[in-house]
Amino acid sequence: MSALTRPWGHLTLAGKIILPLVGLVIALTLLLLLGVATGVIPALVLFGGSLVGANLPIVRFIVAASAILLMTVPTAFVIIYMEMKFIAFINMRLGPNRIGPWGTLQSTIHGFKVLAKEDFTPTGVDVPVFTLAPVVVYLSAVMTLLVLPFAPGLVGVDMNIGLLYFFGIGGLNVVGLLMAGWSSFNKYSLIGGLRAAAQVISYELPLTLGVVGVIMLAGTMSLNQIVLLQAGSFLDWFVFQQPLGFLIFFIAAVAEGNRAPFDLTEADSEIVAGFATEYSGMRFGFFFFAEYVAVFILSGLITVLFFGGWNAPLDLNPLLNWAGLSVNTGLDFGRLGVGLLFLIALGPVVGTLLLALPFWMLRSDWSVLKSLVIGFLLFNLLIMGAVGLYLAISFEAVVGLFWFIAKTYVFVFVFVWMRGTLPRVRIDQLMGFAWKWLLPAALLNLFVTALAVITVDAIR
Amino acid sequence: MTADATRIRSLDDPTLFVDTPATIYDAVPPYPPRSEREAEFYHLRDGELLINLGPQHPSTHGVLRVVLKIDGERVVDLDPVLGYLHRGVEKICENGDWHHAISNCDPLEYVASMFSEAMPVLACEKLLDLEVPRRAEYIRVLAWELNRIASHALFVGWLALDLGGLTPILYSFIERDEIVEMLAALTGQRLLFNYLRIGGVNGDLNHEFMSRLGDWMSHAAEQLDNNQKLLNENEIFVRRTKGLGTLDRETALRLCMTGPPLRATGIPYDVRRAHPYSVYPELEFRIPTREEGDSYARYQLHLDEARESIHIIDQVLHQMPDGPVMAQIPRLIRPRPGRAWIAIESPRGQYGCFAISDGSDQPFRLRIRDPSYFNLQAVGVLTPGNLIADTMAIMASLDPIMGGIDK
Repeated sequence: MSALTRPWGHLTLAGKIILPLVGLVIALTLLLLLGVATGVIPALVLFGGSLVGANLPIVRFIVAASAILLMTVPTAFVIIYMEMKFIAFINMRLGPNRIGPWGTLQSTIHGFKVLAKEDFTPTGVDVPVFTLAPVVVYLSAVMTLLVLPFAPGLVGVDMNIGLLYFFGIGGLNVVGLLMAGWSSFNKYSLIGGLRAAAQVISYELPLTLGVVGVIMLAGTMSLNQIVLLQAGSFLDWFVFQQPLGFLIFFIAAVAEGNRAPFDLTEADSEIVAGFATEYSGMRFGFFFFAEYVAVFILSGLITVLFFGGWNAPLDLNPLLNWAGLSVNTGLDFGRLGVGLLFLIALGPVVGTLLLALPFWMLRSDWSVLKSLVIGFLLFNLLIMGAVGLYLAISFEAVVGLFWFIAKTYVFVFVFVWMRGTLPRVRIDQLMGFAWKWLLPAALLNLFVTALAVITVDAIR
Repeated sequence: MTADATRIRSLDDPTLFVDTPATIYDAVPPYPPRSEREAEFYHLRDGELLINLGPQHPSTHGVLRVVLKIDGERVVDLDPVLGYLHRGVEKICENGDWHHAISNCDPLEYVASMFSEAMPVLACEKLLDLEVPRRAEYIRVLAWELNRIASHALFVGWLALDLGGLTPILYSFIERDEIVEMLAALTGQRLLFNYLRIGGVNGDLNHEFMSRLGDWMSHAAEQLDNNQKLLNENEIFVRRTKGLGTLDRETALRLCMTGPPLRATGIPYDVRRAHPYSVYPELEFRIPTREEGDSYARYQLHLDEARESIHIIDQVLHQMPDGPVMAQIPRLIRPRPGRAWIAIESPRGQYGCFAISDGSDQPFRLRIRDPSYFNLQAVGVLTPGNLIADTMAIMASLDPIMGGIDK
């Protein structure tokens, strides 16, 4: 209580932070009580509820868009960290290991670094175009996330032309790259921008044609429906019906995302940094984030189209039932009655004490407080694990999200792996590969798939 | 006349406004053309573009500046601009005595400085008619061959890095680091060794060096093979280097090329065999050659040579005699007036030195023939007609070191 009696200037930093917070909480609580007592808050809630209910699609869209925008940055951070760490291991280095445990906050610090850098516009650039280019590239990457189904019910907008929207919006990023290359007033940027235009437009064809097989099999372009069609065991995934389509799509996706070995647009040993040469600070950061978000999105799309999206590889419930391990997910806390009260009141305390006891007994150099803290943390971890398990069993969304993210990050890892091991292809080889090999292969795949679909229909 | 605000401030003169600052970024030199070649090169036809590669560029191996004239992605012509690392080493050497010249010549070939520092040493010994103790000769060969492997290992990494591979350069550095640490135990330095002395070497082999050498020898050949696995059968790497920058024998000889680029065309010219020096006649080794003369052949040749060097080191360790490592010579050296030419086989070719002594304790003239300079000339022959990306592959496969080129 000494914090209350001390003058402001004598408080520690923690006190200066905590005291206003405590005041704020008390004030808010009083306001809340007052509001409920006078009936203002229930009226507001009712009004807001009716407003939301009346405009549900708009609210849903706004929420989805903001959630996706907010999601991109941590995703990019995770992938950047993955890339730094995995490439370091491939290179037999340690990689980032200073900031955060195992260097996990390194990419966050990189993000803050680019934020803090000077927003510099070089002489001679076409200022409006130069400024808009990173926005276009970033938005084209982020907007494609809107149709990606993460889990059952967890999709921004379930369009019936989801795939078409995806390619349409995803194709916009070449405009941004070209804008950056053209406006930068730098010959390396110009070459990079033109390379981007040539490369992305060429690979757009095999990318889209590689998926047409899937569209024919699924009979829909809605990504949600495509995932639903792949439900069941892993044998129902489209990769087994469309192996060639998957290969074409994967290669084209690597080129589309400007990733190694097709990273010619920013080939550092040839054209310095390509279209991003003149960019610095957060403008460069947008390009950087867009690249990694694109890696996530393309991996996600591969997962959705060919690897069953959020479907589990094997449905475990029949197996569990067969083994007699069926779980009653309909746990009702209301039936516990007074027991619930005891559980809430005594459970944490007893659990913490029980978990702290072995530490306190075994480690004589630890104080009681330290053992208690460890016990408390362990108890929290256990409870979180239990709740997570419960949710995973009863909520399809959680388990779907888990499988989607797991599969997606496998492909993200493949992207990173390729970057660590392969040299870069040359521009003529790149274009030749797209037009001479991928495009005919995609057409062949299309033809064979069409033939198979017709044959199967005829037999039926 | 537009308002000042809409125009662009000149970078040369901040008080001046110009319509376009384009000229300040162009690669065109600020003086009128000095030769017909320059006039022709800096005259652009329709659709052509000049770009500056260097002096600050990720893949020009130091401060080489190459002005590329490109038509789209294709290189039409190029103009290398040298001299960004010029220190006047030859002149500096004339102002110090013979011992100073050793450390002055050290940074000429900075990734394999054991070779460039041998220049004044061997020249002075030839002028003095000095008999170097046999143990010292063997130690020199040991140090040279180790340094050759370190340099060749780095070559592989650089080539891969310029082709866009991130990983091989780090494997190369792991291999190079072992050797460099070993040589640091021997000489006290990691990069510029300053180890050779007129009449011998600076110190005898020590325990740390020998133990590191033993460790390294146990896995050297294996590690070389392992590192090469990532590239050797890599489709992208092979496709980008095979048939690229193919050099025929006549051109190579006409350009005075030596070392791996020459041997990759099939001419087995190696100074160690052609004009034997030190104890190389007593050692058994092959001179690897390749017939193709392209970038891939040069890459393979470097690996073969590294393997031969391991073989040489093995023999040197078995034949190493006992005895002193320095000849009995006075501190103040005054070679008789005269001229001497010596040449050794550096990782990049024939490193030669033409020395004139006027009888004083300073070299009267020390002219150094750096192989990188002659090998780099091939870029002008090989690159036009190829793509921008190939310029790097060709340049890296010729392995130039700017320290020696600019001197």
